[in-house]
Amino acid sequence: MQLRDYIIRRLIVLPILIIGVSIVVFSLTRISGSPVGIYLSHEMSPAEVQQIEARYGLDKPLPVQYYAWAKGVLQGDLGWSGVAAAPVTEVFPNKLAATMELAFSAGFVAVSLGIWLGTFAGARRNRWPDHITRIVAVSGASLPLFWLGILLLIIFWANLGWAPIGRSDATIWASIAHPTGLYTVDALLAGNLKAFGDAVWHLALPALTLGYGATAIIARMMRSSLVEELQQDYVDAARAKGLPERLVLRRHARRNALIPTVTVIGLTFGFLLQGTITAEIIFRWPGLGRWMADSVLRGDQATIMTYVLFTSVLFLMVNLVVDVIYAHLDRRVVLGG
Amino acid sequence: MNRYLSRPIISSLCVGAVLTLTAFQPAFAQEVNNPGLLVHAADDEPTSLDPAQVEPGEGGETVILQVYDRLLDIGPDSPELIPSLALEVPTVDNGLISADGLTYTFKLREGVVFHDGTALTADDVKYSWDRAMEMDLPEGNAGILSDYIAATAVVDDFTFQATLNEASASFLNSVVIAMVASIVSQDAVKANGGVEASVPNTFMSGNAVGTGPYKFSVWNRNENLQLEVFDDYWGENASLDVRIEIGGDPDVRVLGLRAGEFDTIETDPSFIADLEGVDGVTIYQEGLLLEPLHIGMNLNIPEGALPPEDTIPVDFFHDARVRQAFNHAFDYDAFLNGPLAGYGDFNPHYIPIGIFGYDAASPTYNKQDKAKAEELFRAAGYWDDGFTISVITEEGNLFALMCLVMKDSLEGLNPKFRVNVLAVAESVFDDAHAQDPLEYAMWAKNADPAADPNAYLQAYVHPDGDWGQVHGFANGYADPEAIGAMIDAAAVELDVVKRAEMYAEISKVLYDEPMWLIGAQEGVVAAHRDWVQGFTMQPLWPRPGFKFALFDK
Amino acid sequence: MADISQTRLPKSPFRGPTTSVWQVRVLRMRELAANILSNPTTVLGLAIIGMLLGMAIFAPFIAEPNIPDAYQMPRDWGAVRKPPGTPGHILGTTNEGGDVFYGVVWGSRTSLQLSLIVVSATVIIGTIVGSIAGFLGGWVDEVLMRIVDVFLSIPELIFALAIAAMLGPSFSNIIIALSMVIWVKYARIMRAQIIQVKQNEYIDAARVIGDSKINIYFRDILPNSFTPVMVQATLDMGNVVLIGATLSFIGLSEAGIAEWGVLVSEGQAGIASGRWWASTFPGLMIFLWALAFNLVGDGLRDALDPRTEGR
Repeated sequence: MQLRDYIIRRLIVLPILIIGVSIVVFSLTRISGSPVGIYLSHEMSPAEVQQIEARYGLDKPLPVQYYAWAKGVLQGDLGWSGVAAAPVTEVFPNKLAATMELAFSAGFVAVSLGIWLGTFAGARRNRWPDHITRIVAVSGASLPLFWLGILLLIIFWANLGWAPIGRSDATIWASIAHPTGLYTVDALLAGNLKAFGDAVWHLALPALTLGYGATAIIARMMRSSLVEELQQDYVDAARAKGLPERLVLRRHARRNALIPTVTVIGLTFGFLLQGTITAEIIFRWPGLGRWMADSVLRGDQATIMTYVLFTSVLFLMVNLVVDVIYAHLDRRVVLGG
Repeated sequence: MNRYLSRPIISSLCVGAVLTLTAFQPAFAQEVNNPGLLVHAADDEPTSLDPAQVEPGEGGETVILQVYDRLLDIGPDSPELIPSLALEVPTVDNGLISADGLTYTFKLREGVVFHDGTALTADDVKYSWDRAMEMDLPEGNAGILSDYIAATAVVDDFTFQATLNEASASFLNSVVIAMVASIVSQDAVKANGGVEASVPNTFMSGNAVGTGPYKFSVWNRNENLQLEVFDDYWGENASLDVRIEIGGDPDVRVLGLRAGEFDTIETDPSFIADLEGVDGVTIYQEGLLLEPLHIGMNLNIPEGALPPEDTIPVDFFHDARVRQAFNHAFDYDAFLNGPLAGYGDFNPHYIPIGIFGYDAASPTYNKQDKAKAEELFRAAGYWDDGFTISVITEEGNLFALMCLVMKDSLEGLNPKFRVNVLAVAESVFDDAHAQDPLEYAMWAKNADPAADPNAYLQAYVHPDGDWGQVHGFANGYADPEAIGAMIDAAAVELDVVKRAEMYAEISKVLYDEPMWLIGAQEGVVAAHRDWVQGFTMQPLWPRPGFKFALFDK
Repeated sequence: MADISQTRLPKSPFRGPTTSVWQVRVLRMRELAANILSNPTTVLGLAIIGMLLGMAIFAPFIAEPNIPDAYQMPRDWGAVRKPPGTPGHILGTTNEGGDVFYGVVWGSRTSLQLSLIVVSATVIIGTIVGSIAGFLGGWVDEVLMRIVDVFLSIPELIFALAIAAMLGPSFSNIIIALSMVIWVKYARIMRAQIIQVKQNEYIDAARVIGDSKINIYFRDILPNSFTPVMVQATLDMGNVVLIGATLSFIGLSEAGIAEWGVLVSEGQAGIASGRWWASTFPGLMIFLWALAFNLVGDGLRDALDPRTEGR
């Protein structure tokens, strides 16, 4: 199939999938549980409960509710969040910025550290560095993120007092403007080094924790594809030609080994996305993940629906991009010989 | 150096450098932190700052207490009423209560200014009360106003009158000082959405324009809420600005207090153990909260409504012996010493310790009596076959722990007794709790605090009261009419000595006819940094019972 | 999936020439086992699984079961928050006086239940749906796969979170939520396998001989399709406990039960005050469980996939 046709086909299916997800997520929140519960206070009479239901449109038949919600989403009205006591659209951007900052930092750590680690191990296959890396890699996939986070908190926060929790020191945060909502970027834009330091200091532990599992996945994939590459004939040829090992590695093998690794980066995205939920709970990071966790516990339907829809759309788009890149690269490699 | 090691080594050195450099920030404070600012760590976030919308007992009331005033108030040290926006407390003697007890006259303070600069007049008072009643929001407390008040009237610029539906000994204590009766600036409301029945006012939900010592500054959702000192306050000015930190877990609050990041925190007794003996932290402990923790018993269970695992008949709690047996079986010491860390006491049914009418000599359930419990269960016929019962509660707090103690107590008494603790999210609990009739045999919560014993008895004991009707108390009392009559008589008795005797008598009767399992009355415990001066708590003020205007550093 | 023609046959335990398909299968099993056992990390994984299984099976003997419900943590309200080494509570107690050691031991049982039930259910459901799609093809295939695609669009944890939130906090609801999310993986695997095997020559041969479709399915397609399912199922045994523990940690399980995730969640509140034991030990168990199954799953995948031979 032509690459262009592949892209078009995927793009056509995308909206259908999104609608499918919206139906699934809507059904989840309305069919059971207590959709009105979040808006109630204790000691309300049944008549008062009905009043609240009417206010939020929860007394209408389900298809009508779905239509109203879907229409709202397309118009930018995502409902009222009981957890945040504000419209979802008002609270969403700030929390999104917080989560993105965390996820990108973790992703940066994971990609750079993972690729380096995988290369390091793959080039020294079956020797000690390789074994250790493999153990680290497997543990990364098995380590419960919340446990790692708690352990690090016990050591670095409760005992040593080196690492803080939360996203910022309130006074330092208040001292700069926040045009982007990303603390690090805002601090740099304001030229405020103290704020930047504060931002990084708060980011360090959560990003490392969140990135650990992703690092493991990427390292593992990089290692195995590098090993496979190094077994190829052209590597022997290059070596026979007298090319230094370093160049063989860097100029040829690693570049080719990066290709399957690109697909893993898409996988990593999903990992990071889901990891932010627990990471934000543990490090008290005011982002989307923590908001979602609170909403799940307290039955805040508006937030749950928005979050699941948003993350699914993001997930779909990232997977699409990764698949397209892979198809593109794969073809090139095949053609290039 | 090997190329492959250099890059990660450099980056880890950088990270390490950042960490170590910043680690030299003092983690623990020496001097006063944040001078001029009081940082308080709250446990829940307000949902609304509008007195007409705020739910009794939730975070918004804390803020309303600081930024709004009411006609009367309760002082920091005693449950006596003191004047606030009104110049005098109305009594029959000073003529401000009419002879028939129906009309209350309030003379207002002159020269009081709202945060928006407008002056306070009786119009504002009438507007504030009328608007709450007209909006009649289900989540708010407007019901209190409408239940008592027949009409409000402005006599002149500084005189306000309220006429009641019927004479009552508890109007001032239960209504006038309630947060819903706070006085708001009518100019501010009219300029921002006005009044509409059944519709919340978004401006007032997220802002506050009152006469209190604090002005609302900014509310960063899920993070913090800030208040500024109001310089033109009619009374004594506050000394410190306030930042209320939201979104805390209890252990984070404790650590923050120890580190000096927070000056005062809300906490429950189980965390006090972590603060005892800590440098720079003072534990304040005085008296008891007026919100007994209890488990309700439903005598009005609809057929087939219970969870499928429950094996009890729908008239399970009609038998007084069963209710007494539960009260005897509960392990009070375990609850007090475990979850409450020793801070608390046990009150008789149903007058909390510290409230007028409490009699220390009243018979009280305060010790587990397994023999008695067994005897009663046998007499009622449940011992040999046992039973399974569910209790629904909010998860993750003292109520859930109380249910676990009850579970362990009963299951430890007789393994054939099974108690399923359904610890659910607060919203699910609220939804279930609002049903009438209730579809659960038991549920756990605490009582709403009040200044007057009648409030407790009406709500939790009277067969015609709110819970009396939902739970069907009439099915369980030997003589519901008599009990109702006793309570009603005590409600209007104006002779203080006689009234106390009547309440003592009621407590005695209720010992044999308990309608609740009262776990305990929680102790008042708070913790603050040493540098906070003027610290005091008043359990009758909305949780946590602080007026920040009284504090200094 | 290994193709017969590429199999290197070791010395045959059978006398005479190897004739039947079953004999070949036995030989392959032996080779597989040898492959697996030659990898030290896989052996380590198997050893850990053995230990955990032993703990789960012999739990009543290691830690006396709580009366009346063994899956409830035994609470000693007089001994709350005790550190490890306290007499009678070797790993300390929780905020409610629950014995951490008891939680660690009986938690292995709950984890075993959770993973076995979820993995069995999802493999069965996924196999059925995937087989229908792969076998029948056409619009049935399209519709089923669109549904699978929609389910796969929602990240696993988030989906399970939303379902468990809707159902309410309880252990059985976590089982249901996880099953509803994971079966799609197996549907996809089975369908891909079936389509691939359908194209294989020996199926055509069987059809020529006249075997009925059902016979072909159960005798040839299903057994040959199973290897990737086996690998995925092994990995999922670990993964399910991990996700389940995360859901419990967030708060969607019942309070007071002997389950590792719940224990970590309840123990988390104490770390600021130095009470590390209530969350560290159960967390360690979750890690060991997931690690063991990941190691074995990886080993299986390496052994079964001819492309990775010699790694």
